[in-house]
Parts: sequence; structure tokens; C-alpha cells
Amino acid sequence: MSYARPTVERGRATLRRTALVCGVLLLLLSVVLIVASVIGSQRLPLAASLCALTGKSNCGLSSEQQAILFDIRLPRILLAGAVGMCLAAAGAGYQALLRNPLAEPYLLGVSNGAAVGTMTALVFFGAHEWSRPVMAFAGALAATLVVYRLARGRAGATPERLILAGVIVTTFLSSAIVFITTLMDATRIRSFTFWLLGDLSGTTTSLLTVALVAAAIGVIILALNARSLNLMMLGERDAFDLGVEVSRVRVTVFVAASLLVGASVASSGSVGYVGLVVPHLVRLSFGSDNRLVIIASALAGAAFVIVADTIARSIIAPRELPVGAITALIGAPLFIYLLRRG
Amino acid sequence: MLEAKNITVNYGPRAAVAGVSLAPRPGEVIAIIGPNGAGKSTFLRALNGALPVSHGEVLLDGNPLSSFARRAIARRIAVVAQESDLRFPVTVMEFVLGGRHAWTTTWGWETERDVEVARAVLRETELEDFAARFMNELSGGERQRAVLARALATEASVFLLDEPTANLDLAHQATMLRLVRARCDDGSVAAVVVTHDVNLAAEFADRVLLMKKGRAIASGPPSEVLTPELLRKVFDLEVLVDAHPISGAPRITPVHERP
Repeated sequence: MSYARPTVERGRATLRRTALVCGVLLLLLSVVLIVASVIGSQRLPLAASLCALTGKSNCGLSSEQQAILFDIRLPRILLAGAVGMCLAAAGAGYQALLRNPLAEPYLLGVSNGAAVGTMTALVFFGAHEWSRPVMAFAGALAATLVVYRLARGRAGATPERLILAGVIVTTFLSSAIVFITTLMDATRIRSFTFWLLGDLSGTTTSLLTVALVAAAIGVIILALNARSLNLMMLGERDAFDLGVEVSRVRVTVFVAASLLVGASVASSGSVGYVGLVVPHLVRLSFGSDNRLVIIASALAGAAFVIVADTIARSIIAPRELPVGAITALIGAPLFIYLLRRG
Repeated sequence: MLEAKNITVNYGPRAAVAGVSLAPRPGEVIAIIGPNGAGKSTFLRALNGALPVSHGEVLLDGNPLSSFARRAIARRIAVVAQESDLRFPVTVMEFVLGGRHAWTTTWGWETERDVEVARAVLRETELEDFAARFMNELSGGERQRAVLARALATEASVFLLDEPTANLDLAHQATMLRLVRARCDDGSVAAVVVTHDVNLAAEFADRVLLMKKGRAIASGPPSEVLTPELLRKVFDLEVLVDAHPISGAPRITPVHERP
């Protein structure tokens, strides 16, 4: 792939540059969040909403508008942001660890593993909401383990074998999911299919909390391992020789990424392309240093999914599209464009 | 410094390296020569702990290698291997700065000193104009120099080089080994070089270790080890050994039987 041409001195990631880039992305995220909160099947007044979001009272919003903003829209937007953050950061982590720009949660079977976990929780522990993210995390981790074991050949788990094993596991789990779905009745099938394609309409406070906490923990863990990932990106042997505890980093990143994917899938189903496209765009714009890429991907991913979800819930309002369909519709052409640039 | 005492490295059921000892001295360049499958690279990888040793031990500064943390080993022993995986765009400067990993803290950013060291080794390897270029824009020879630069940036006292001149043209082969030799002559650094090029070894090494089928056949100065008898024993090949007319180092020429 051909990347941004260096101008005078190609900026490497320094603390200052990273802080600047992340600052700008945070600003962008805030703008996206505010705009998203006024758009929807019911348009809200911008100035009044802005005033209300900053915590003031007596902003001029009717009680109905207040309810829409704070009880319906904001939780959903925050969840969208958390999901985007989780998936983009996990994608960036997988790509660096597996030395493969195509690695992302869906392709590696992790998303489907989390989905199977969530479905199992719904069927057997439906009454306990907390069981969904827990089983999703377990499912994600189990899928990761199976993929890694499958991929381990004589020469270790090469990136190619990992992707191959991931594709096998993900397609197998897809069939398992379809099978379980057909055992359900018609009404549940429809809502389930919707959920599988990425659905943010079923936001509850507890799921939102889990998603936000998981996003924070997972991104922090990945960011702490960013320097090691920079070296692992160039080969495990090189990284080992240069002082990286390769096995420890691998396990840590797999667990953190499973946490992120599990939390995301448990709350919103399988939102695709985020983990693939966002880190790519970030690398294209700012370079491959993971100390910058991980956090920047998290922020950009959050903005991306908020935008996609805003489109999903307003373009054919009052009906909704699954957000996964929108991320795919935007993500796939974007990815083709990125591929052709290289 | 580094010392391998009678080490055996198993590769599954068989011993890839059997009872080999080596103790590089500061300022010394040791070349390891042998046919394919002799265990040269395996031996090298055991020297920095990348492969476990089943018998014997590797000592670093008198203590067993296993007692050191990864980072501590990386600060003392640097490896120059074949080209890295370059699927992601990385600039030469970023690549070379990777050598400072063992010196910086967990989420630390590179210090002024780290950047200074990187710049210095880029100058030493004649790559300073390439600092902002991407690694995959460089030629093979330039990339190998960058790999050497990264190893030099670790400020280690022992360098392990695994066929550093493979895939390099004549000019670059000479440059690589000249740089290694210069570093060793400078200070307290030692280098162990696995190479297929017997003549390059004769030219640049202080000591040569001949290996075959995992065992050490001979070890000593090039003039003592690179003899027709020993080389025939190791390579099953007739060779002619004379003195290089300019340097005086042993010059090995294979004698091919015409049918």
C-alpha cells in the first residue's frame, strides 16, 4: 500500500503529536455527538439541546424533548460511541499483533464467537442481563483460542494461517447461529436477524455501562501494550530479540480485544467493517505507531459508528435500518478505495 | 560477557546442536561456518535465549541467561537477522528507534538520548539521508544496513548476526562486515557472525568455528581452521587454500571436478 508521502521530515509519533491528533479527534467526536443528538425522527432545536447537554436547566426544551434527548437519544449515541471505540481499537490491536492489515474481529471469528455466547445467554439465562456480556466475552475468548490453536503449525501461527483459521471458524459459527435462529419462532427470528446485523435500539442502562467500562479498560490495556505492538508488527522474532515478552503481550492483547468485542457484540450485535476500515484510515493519515493508532482509532471509531447509527435511525424514519448495514455500505466501498490506492 | 558452555539444543527428538561451546571476547569477531543443517543458526538463537537449551548453559556476565528478564538480555545482546516483516509502513527512523525499546519504560516516549543514539547509528551506517523514507522504499542492501543500525542502537555489547550478507551484492557485503568490524575494533563489543561466505569470514573474523551436524569440528584463527583438510571434512568438497595477495588472509577456492 502506498501511504502518505513524507513532506520534509516524516513526523514520527511523539507525545506532542499524539496528543494533538487525539485532541482534534476528541473535538470531532464531541461535534458528532452533539449533531447526532439533535437529528432523528424528531428534530430537536440545536441551541436549546446544546444548553441542556452542558447540564443547565431551563433551556427551553419541552419535557417531551428532554425525554427524547436524555432517555432515548443520548444513551443510544453513547452506546454507539462505545461500540465504535471497542471495535476500532480491537481491530487496530489485531492488525498489529497478527501483522495483517485484514485482521478484524469478524474475520477472525471473534465477533461470531461473541454472538454465539450472547445467544446462549439469551436462551438459557434470559432473565439475567449481565449474563450477555459475560457469555459474549467467554464466546469471544473461546473463538480466539480455537482459531489460534488451529493456526499453530510448525512455524508458529503465521498471519496467513490465522486468517485462514479465522475464516473457517467464523463461517462455522455463522451456520451455528443460523441454525439456532431457525429454532426460534417467527417474531423472534426477525428481531434476532436485525440484532445480528448490528442493532443499537435495544440500549439499556446496564448494557451501556458495561460497554463504556469495557471500552475504557480494553483501550487502556491495548494502549499500554502499544510500544510492544510496534515491534511485534515487524515480526515476533524481531520483537523477542529487542526485548518484548512476546507470549505475555499476545495473551494480553487477545484477552483485551475479546473484552472489547464481547462488550460490543453483547450490546449491539455484529457491527462489521469498523475494525477494518477505521484503523486503516488512521494509519494512512498518521502513520503506523500504535501509541497513536490505538487511541486515535478508538476516537475515530466512536465518531464513525455514531454517524452510521444516526443515518440508520433517521434515513427511513420512523423505521430503522440496522447500523451494521450502514457501516458495511460505507465501509466496503471505502475499503475497496483503500485497496486500490496500494 | 556471553559464554555458551557445552550446549545442546533439541529440535524435537534430535539434537540440532550437540555440546558446542563458545565465549566471544570483547573486540572479537567470530564467524560460524558450516553446511546447511549444521545447526549454526540454531546455536545462534540459543545464545540470546530465543531457543531453550536442553543441556549445558548459556551465561551472561557470569549468570545463567534464564535469570535475566527479556529487556535485560536485549540491552546486552543484539541480533541482526534476515529482513523483517514490512507489511506496515514504517520509516527508517521509527525502525531504528525500535532498537531503544529495551531502554525505555512501558508507555514511555523516546527521549532526546534515544533519538541521538538513533541519529548516530544512522550516520555510522550511512543512512542519515534515509531517515524519513519508508523501509520498503529502500533497496535490499540499504534495508540490511537499517537492520544493523537498529541492532547498533541497542548499545549491546554482543552482536549475533545470522547471515547478514545473504541477498546482498558484493559491495554491500563488504560494507556490512566492515561496519561490524569497525564497531568491534572501537570498543568492548564482540560479534558472532553466521555466514556461508567462507572468504568473507577469512577476511573479517578473528576466530572461526566450524560446525557440522550440530557439532563443533574446529575452532581457532582462520589460518588454522580454514585448511583444505578441515574444509573437506565439513563440506565434502575439495578446496584450494592460498593467501589473498593483498590482505594475506586465507583465500578458499573450491576445486570442481570436471566430468
